[in-house]
Amino acid sequence: MRLGLSSFLFRTTAAFVVAALAVSACASPTAPGVSTAPSAAAGPVSGGTVTIPIGADPTLNPWSPNAFVESLFINRVIFDGITKPGKDLAPAPDLAESWTTAADGLSWTFKLRSGVKWSDGQPFTADDVAFTFNDVVLKPDLGAQNRASYAAVKSVTVVDPTTVRFDLSRKFAALPSFLAYNAGILPKHVLTADPLKTTTFNKGTPVSTGPFKVDKYTSGQSVSLVRNENYFGPKPYLDKLVFTVVADPNTQVAQALSGDLQIMILDNKAAVDRVKSAAGLAVVARPLVQYYWLSLNQTDTRFTDVRVRQAFVYAIDRAAIIKNVELGYGSIANSPITPALAAYYDPSLASKYPYDPAKATELLKAAGWTPGANGVLQKDGKPFQFTMDVGQRGVLEPVNALIQQDLKKVGVVVDLNTMEWNSYIQKDVVRREYTATVNWWTYPSDPDVFPYYHSSAAGKGFNIPGYQDAKLDDLLVQGQSTSDLEARKAVYKQLQQYTSEVLPYLFLWYPQEIDVLSTSLQGVPELGLRDAMHYAGEWWLAKK
Amino acid sequence: MVAGQEVVRFLFQRIALGALVIVFASALTFFFVNLAPGGPASVMRFDVTAEQREALIKRMGLDKPVTQRYVEWVAGAVRGDFGTSLLTDEPVAQRISERLPNTLTLAGAALLLSITLGIPIGLIQALRRGSALDHFLSFFSAIGLAVPVFWLGIVLILVFAVSLRVLPSAGLTAIGDDTVLERIRHLILPTVVLATTILPTIVRFMRSAAIEVLQEDFIRTAQSKGLAPRVVVTRHVLRNALIPVVSAIGALVPRLLGGTVVTESVFNLPGMGRLALDAAVGRDYPLVIGLTVVGAMIAVATTVIVDIAYTRIDPRVRLA
Repeated sequence: MRLGLSSFLFRTTAAFVVAALAVSACASPTAPGVSTAPSAAAGPVSGGTVTIPIGADPTLNPWSPNAFVESLFINRVIFDGITKPGKDLAPAPDLAESWTTAADGLSWTFKLRSGVKWSDGQPFTADDVAFTFNDVVLKPDLGAQNRASYAAVKSVTVVDPTTVRFDLSRKFAALPSFLAYNAGILPKHVLTADPLKTTTFNKGTPVSTGPFKVDKYTSGQSVSLVRNENYFGPKPYLDKLVFTVVADPNTQVAQALSGDLQIMILDNKAAVDRVKSAAGLAVVARPLVQYYWLSLNQTDTRFTDVRVRQAFVYAIDRAAIIKNVELGYGSIANSPITPALAAYYDPSLASKYPYDPAKATELLKAAGWTPGANGVLQKDGKPFQFTMDVGQRGVLEPVNALIQQDLKKVGVVVDLNTMEWNSYIQKDVVRREYTATVNWWTYPSDPDVFPYYHSSAAGKGFNIPGYQDAKLDDLLVQGQSTSDLEARKAVYKQLQQYTSEVLPYLFLWYPQEIDVLSTSLQGVPELGLRDAMHYAGEWWLAKK
Repeated sequence: MVAGQEVVRFLFQRIALGALVIVFASALTFFFVNLAPGGPASVMRFDVTAEQREALIKRMGLDKPVTQRYVEWVAGAVRGDFGTSLLTDEPVAQRISERLPNTLTLAGAALLLSITLGIPIGLIQALRRGSALDHFLSFFSAIGLAVPVFWLGIVLILVFAVSLRVLPSAGLTAIGDDTVLERIRHLILPTVVLATTILPTIVRFMRSAAIEVLQEDFIRTAQSKGLAPRVVVTRHVLRNALIPVVSAIGALVPRLLGGTVVTESVFNLPGMGRLALDAAVGRDYPLVIGLTVVGAMIAVATTVIVDIAYTRIDPRVRLA
């Protein structure tokens, strides 16, 4: 998650910008030299610079606790993982060529590529992998980013210079997928002193193995990458990849329109029509491994009744949220497994909870909530009223307002408590002092959602509602226990059915990302931009 | 005329007083930012577990009591060590000194533009009081005061960078082109936008001060003595009207610094304003305090300069 210009500015500006963009559309001359889409049929050519906006100065170390979302873009280009997300999002080879799990499932062995060199010419070996995990990720006092994902990993053993073994305390079938997710391998020979706080590395020119390496880091302005001549894979087509720090999403749009940016995520969806009408820019929708949810704190006894949770889902017009807030870029969610994980996603659940306020009223009545004098539902003389905390970020504020209206229609009174993001996290996540709140999860490209749902994560881990359920726990463990794709599909199909029934979180929607690309930019895989960064070496610019 | 010795004594007093202000500001900020809800951004994120949080708090030294941390900070600050940024692990002094020149350039350019435009405009309005021109300029001042900085910034970007393509949309320089000319081109729009935060105020002050002076007896005396109108305006009206305007400009400098936060964000300039925003949002305590101290220093320096400027404009005022 990233910091940036306060969402106040964003909100107040967004509405205006749409109008201003519309006005400037009338005055805007055709962008020079991009009147027609260049032909991709000619095949890839080398050369050119692609500029990508990021919201803040990045931290060039995927394990640093200060590596926020803006850092992902670069870290996924310069650092290689043991695996990377394939174009189907299943784990694909990166620094490892192949991998196998032991018969008992308590270890994974990775065969590494031979002949890989760091950008400074030093050889990459299994020692670097062992260092990254044993001396950085698994060291509790360093507080490395993402270390919670490796709770099942005891240690990493070097078998030989091109073989490593991950020893586990319990079965962890999703390990190859998790290793594809922000798990870049660090150079042991550079980071001996304090691997997470070496500023010449994190804020300078880190030694890395990816297709591009950092040429120059200019604080507050840009980070430029050039080809890594020591890269093990095919030579990248682009000469340079420049990440320019642009905090304000509206300025990003203006820069894309003036031709300064070649690819970006359109955070301000309201500008989509203007961007679509611009010459030389293409707009595409991409799937994300992400879902929005409403968490009802399970320490509040009103919400432990499953009928109440189901009633809320019937009462909330999620299609209207997608239409009004996401401008149609998204689909209704009824489980934590997103459509982006095509191998696992169960589309039959999509229509499970249609918008049906009458059904909601019926379920609430069955749970003992009946209308009082003023139309507000009551039980034992107490009105159904509670507070939802709203973090100021992205679309959360309008979404909460819509949910408030929907619940009011079935006699439930919601008070909204809007908070600055940092304070919100402290109250709702760190202290868990909340009744209800809306937010989202993004997770590695694997249906293993153990950290967000297991009883052991209630109250302190990522199980935000604190929902505890033995049957769900059992399904989560089963999913981690088998590496067989068909067996896992069966388990996660059950998990989707079950979670959609008991609603540990109230599932809202699966968002899509809007990406804006220059029409001359080719070779970008059909993935969300953050995932497509793994393939930056394959991007190329058509000659104009 | 002011004796040199008097100036030295005055400066000495002012610097001592300024140091007190800075110490007070640093202590106040230190305790307030630590009391504010939330915590460092690395800790206040969704995807961090309780165990990680505890380790990170300890590593940042935030498990120690606030008073102890303040004492340690003061001990470092007097030796010139303002601590380490929690967001980047770089020294606070380094982060600020990287950004300070950009902000001073922007704020200086905006101040210069505001003064060179504001004083003549205000004077002309006063001399042509009640005329169509006066009303027209007053109307523009009112618009200037009412228009939000980010709004104007985006409009100018859309007009000059997107539609007309004559000026760059944002940033300090073009990538790979760090010439003086490029820097100036990049500075034009932000300077204009930032100037709108203070220009209308300077115009209004100048106008009302000049109107007041024009009604004074000595102006009538000067006119009846047969002095040329040009001499009356420059030597008498302007000089006397400038006194309240100079003090107003001193008071406007903090507003100018505040305006850099938004201007630098919209135009994507790496300056102190944007740094302050990032530091506050990310609860980078040492950086917030460092920036407060620098801000307080600038404010103190401004008041000293304004006081000295007074004596140059108004011989009746003496430094004491």
